Amino acid sequence: MSSQAATRSQMSPQTQPGYRSALFARYGESILVYVCFALFVVVIGLPFYFIFVSSITPSTELFNVPPTYWPSIPTLDNYARMVESIPFLTYFRNSVIFGVGSSAVSVIAAGMAAYALARIRFPGSNIIYLALILSVALPQIAVLVPMFQTFNTFRLVNTHHGLIIMMSSLMLPFTIMTLVSFIKQVPAEIEEAAYIDGATTVQIILRVLLPLIRPALFTMFLINFIISWNELLYPLVFAHNVDTKTLSVGLTELTDPGSTYTKPWDMMSALSVFMIVPVLLIILFGQRMIISGLARGALK
Amino acid sequence: MSARPHADRRPNLFARLSLRQRFYVIAILLLLPAVGLRVFTAFYPFLQTAYLSFHRYNPAFDHGGPVFVGLGNFQRMSADPVVQASISFTLVFVLGATFFQLALGLAVAHLLNAAFRLRFLSRALVLIPWAIPMAVAALGFRWMFDDQFGMIPDLLRSLAGVEMRWLIDPNNAKLAVTSVAVWKSTPFVALVLLAGLQGIGRDLYEAARVDGANAWTSLFYITIPMLLPILITTGMFMIVWQLAVFDLPFLMTGGGPGYSTTVIAQKIYLESNSLNYGYAASISMALVGIVAVVGVVGLYLFRRFDVSM
Repeated sequence: MSSQAATRSQMSPQTQPGYRSALFARYGESILVYVCFALFVVVIGLPFYFIFVSSITPSTELFNVPPTYWPSIPTLDNYARMVESIPFLTYFRNSVIFGVGSSAVSVIAAGMAAYALARIRFPGSNIIYLALILSVALPQIAVLVPMFQTFNTFRLVNTHHGLIIMMSSLMLPFTIMTLVSFIKQVPAEIEEAAYIDGATTVQIILRVLLPLIRPALFTMFLINFIISWNELLYPLVFAHNVDTKTLSVGLTELTDPGSTYTKPWDMMSALSVFMIVPVLLIILFGQRMIISGLARGALK
Repeated sequence: MSARPHADRRPNLFARLSLRQRFYVIAILLLLPAVGLRVFTAFYPFLQTAYLSFHRYNPAFDHGGPVFVGLGNFQRMSADPVVQASISFTLVFVLGATFFQLALGLAVAHLLNAAFRLRFLSRALVLIPWAIPMAVAALGFRWMFDDQFGMIPDLLRSLAGVEMRWLIDPNNAKLAVTSVAVWKSTPFVALVLLAGLQGIGRDLYEAARVDGANAWTSLFYITIPMLLPILITTGMFMIVWQLAVFDLPFLMTGGGPGYSTTVIAQKIYLESNSLNYGYAASISMALVGIVAVVGVVGLYLFRRFDVSM
């Protein structure tokens, strides 16, 4: 781009009035965009670079002053020690169960509720909608103690389904809001036609509406999976054994008795990479859907 | 009998209902799972928190159950320097972070909206900070801000000649935690604002250009006024959401040095871990109160500016 601009400046007469601003309008703007883009890439990318480089730097070299920006001999030792320090595979499995379970339950429950709220006129529907949506503002931490007691009574602490119940519930308000706005955009005439043809409500939901809103459901599934994959507080408080702890809890558990430094960054960065990769894959795969889903939920 | 053969053949309750009543039943059944989950994990425990906030309850000592103390917990809170410090840091953190998230988010939204060849790449990249675990970001930045081994102090020293100690200085630690929140959530704000930007007609800008407006005047007289409802709702959402932040300061600084980066949520967590359930509940109520005030102000602003559009 800049070489093109240079050749043009040789060709054009410098004396022409308004030449500078015209040139800027033509090329300066796009150069500015690329400069901003480069800055944006650096600010977003640098932390990931540091995390990745730390994960392949020998732990002795990690504590160099000044810090190492690229290891002399890249190694996978940190990964090996991380896998020995915590039951990595079990935690990984728990994270997947927690993520898939919570997003599936939240999407199903929110989809059902959204249909009732968007399509069926009944007294109190506005109040129920408002109560469901406003409950998003209730801080998780503010109800933690009573919730723990209730979950303890029902023997839901240290269980997958207990964690799934609380996490899916946490994500319901945003999911309902998004799905209601989506269902309202689908013309009701299609369902009315099916109704006149003698279809029951269940048939209408499953055969007519479901195919139409499947992309929205899938988008919310992806978004909710990412949110639950990242969740720390609930598993930290409600999961105390190997069978239910997730990777984010594992991150807080890594300790290295051999090191004087309190936080074993070598192992943490290795685990961090493992936690980032699945999310990156989801984004590569569903970028467009996730962007539209997030914007819709926040705008409506 | 013979007048209603249909009802006799299907004597179930549902069939006897009128059409309208059948729809009510269906609506209730469809809402049941969602409402049940919210009642079980939000509404009911919230009532219990409200109840506990007026009681002294430490299960290790109060074997007879919660003891009513009236406003005792709230009096104790008003004299607790840690609570005051955590409230003031939480407010500074939330307002500062939200301001920069909106300002930088608007800038990033313009970048995402600009017509250039790598636009698809910028839209994929922008999702990444939002999508990674907060725990990973908090611990990663903790390491990057480390005084001895961190890259950020080293880069600042060698590139800008700035000598700064981050996580062991109370004010700089506050700045560092806030910056990470800005880094993590600006992309989300940008995506929402991008959707808003795409809704503004091009003809407005063209008309303004004909009238001699430059980029700055267009920004302040077209873009920002047109986006105001979205800016207010997004700002309120970010404030309410970040008032409850826990994992970022908990993992990045542990609330330190001292209590300089302790947020309200972490104070509640600490008191709950010390089994001071009644006291923790009263701090929770204070947090809910702050959220409610922000929410009411937000609704007022939204109505005021949305109606005028």
